[in-house]
Amino acid sequence: MTELLTIRGLTRDFGGFRAVDGVDLDVAQGAIHSVIGPNGAGKSTLFSLITGERRPTAGTVRFDGRDLTGLAPHAVTRAGLAKAFQTTSIFPRLTVGESVCAALAARNAQLRLLRSRTKAGIRAEAETICGALGLAEHIHRAGSALSHGDQRALEVALALATAPRLLLLDEPTAGMSPFETKRVVDQITGLARERGLTVLFSEHDLDTVFSISDEVTVMHQGRVLAHGPAAEVRANDEVMAVYLGSEP
Amino acid sequence: MTVLEEKIPPATARPAPRPAARLLPLLAGAAALALLAAAPYLVTVSAILSLEQVAAFAVFAVAANLLIGQAGLVSFGQGVFFGLGAYTVTLGWEHAGLSFWEGFALAPVLGAAAAALIGLVALRARTLYFALITLAFSQLFYQLVEQNTGFTGGANGVFAPVVPAWMESPVEGYLTLLGIAVAALLALWWLYRSDFGLLLRASRENRARVQALGTNVYRLHLLAFTVSGAFCSLAGAMFVVYNQGSNAELFDWTTSGQAVLMSVIGGMYTFAGPVVGAFVYQFGHDWLVRYVSDWQLVLGGVLLLVVILRPDGLAGALRRPGRLRLSGRLELPSRLRGRK
Repeated sequence: MTELLTIRGLTRDFGGFRAVDGVDLDVAQGAIHSVIGPNGAGKSTLFSLITGERRPTAGTVRFDGRDLTGLAPHAVTRAGLAKAFQTTSIFPRLTVGESVCAALAARNAQLRLLRSRTKAGIRAEAETICGALGLAEHIHRAGSALSHGDQRALEVALALATAPRLLLLDEPTAGMSPFETKRVVDQITGLARERGLTVLFSEHDLDTVFSISDEVTVMHQGRVLAHGPAAEVRANDEVMAVYLGSEP
Repeated sequence: MTVLEEKIPPATARPAPRPAARLLPLLAGAAALALLAAAPYLVTVSAILSLEQVAAFAVFAVAANLLIGQAGLVSFGQGVFFGLGAYTVTLGWEHAGLSFWEGFALAPVLGAAAAALIGLVALRARTLYFALITLAFSQLFYQLVEQNTGFTGGANGVFAPVVPAWMESPVEGYLTLLGIAVAALLALWWLYRSDFGLLLRASRENRARVQALGTNVYRLHLLAFTVSGAFCSLAGAMFVVYNQGSNAELFDWTTSGQAVLMSVIGGMYTFAGPVVGAFVYQFGHDWLVRYVSDWQLVLGGVLLLVVILRPDGLAGALRRPGRLRLSGRLELPSRLRGRK
């Protein structure tokens, strides 16, 4: 299996605190790969190092053979790697349709933007993406007027609109009801299969993780504790002790 | 998690605007334009002169609002480009022997160049610091122009018969400015409606998100600053027709402040808002100074009322009448609202 994303020795210090400590991670092309771990394990920091929001103290991020380490966020996105944020990060006063059109237009060069207007083709594409995430009926509503679950769906829609090859989802179901969680997870896995996307996501809910993941990486205190196929990780005693031990 | 929450039916979506509703602003615009074209034959000379100023200030305010309302970049330095445009015409005439129209054509080019350079520096800062840096540039230019008496005429400014004789009559002057204003506003309207405008609004709402979507926001804003500078400079050149010259106060921050006030009063979030603001500001001023000496006091009161009751301005009030928004919740940029 070919690796789309290869991370070696990725490290990030905040003052004296090492949030991410020498992480190695390989994400295979077309896989759904989960990163799990208790709060503070370094999952979100790891994701922000991959997307260029933060610079790593050490280590490298390679994407499809290209070194992305230290690139600015917009350059990482243009390389084909998009993230849906953990804390919903949308455009409160733009409508759902406008938001997705903006995301579709964002990949254009600056000067092309001056000439271009949102074409019928773009609008149709925006409608397709909204439809895929169950947002079709909300297309003319402002982002701030959506329910929490729909805002999360819009968050994913924005990331999808950049036409990524690798989609990073930082706890996509945070704060959702079990009902909404199932809806979003089904949509994401459906989209990933349909579009041949590779998905790397962090998640709290273990039932979700083990039901949809091909590969699982377990993080603890900034380090990789275990990784492998979902079934294997589930059977790992050390993982059970550190992370799943709290489960009854 | 309660079962109840999941049973709440989804709120119905706002319906798509009907074609008739889309035509309405076009018809209103056409009617207003016809009225404005007929105005010089209907109103007094002093009103025509006010309309000349409105033509220049409408372009100025809409161009400034591309930054203020659309991109969320509150610039207190657009007066720099307004003044630059006016002085390009007058100094070009005085020192380089340029005709009015040659200076007029040069003004937006110089405005864009100056804006690109200033933007390069000012856009490194955000929010309040950006406002302060633009303000500093405004005062820097004001001082430079006022001190260099030999070249710029200092505090006296440059007043000379630079405007072509046929345009000196109020009617011809006004109609020419109206034509230029309509052309400039159409170009700006195109920009507002383009993907560029959409991304500017998106960056106002959530800068980091636009960055994450693959756009270099610094460069996006630099382009907006440059385009705005070009049109502000054009507006300054237009102002020469009314002013019959240029004076150092055009560079002052109060000129920049006027653009901000017109945008806020008229409505920052609509294209027509700053145009409405320019009319209200100019004619409100003309009417008030007849009765009160401290007309700024009244202006301050009006501004307060608009900000508290209708943060989306008069144009917003026209669009959705009868909805006074005391909380202003939806209207504030996200960074000013407490994070959830």
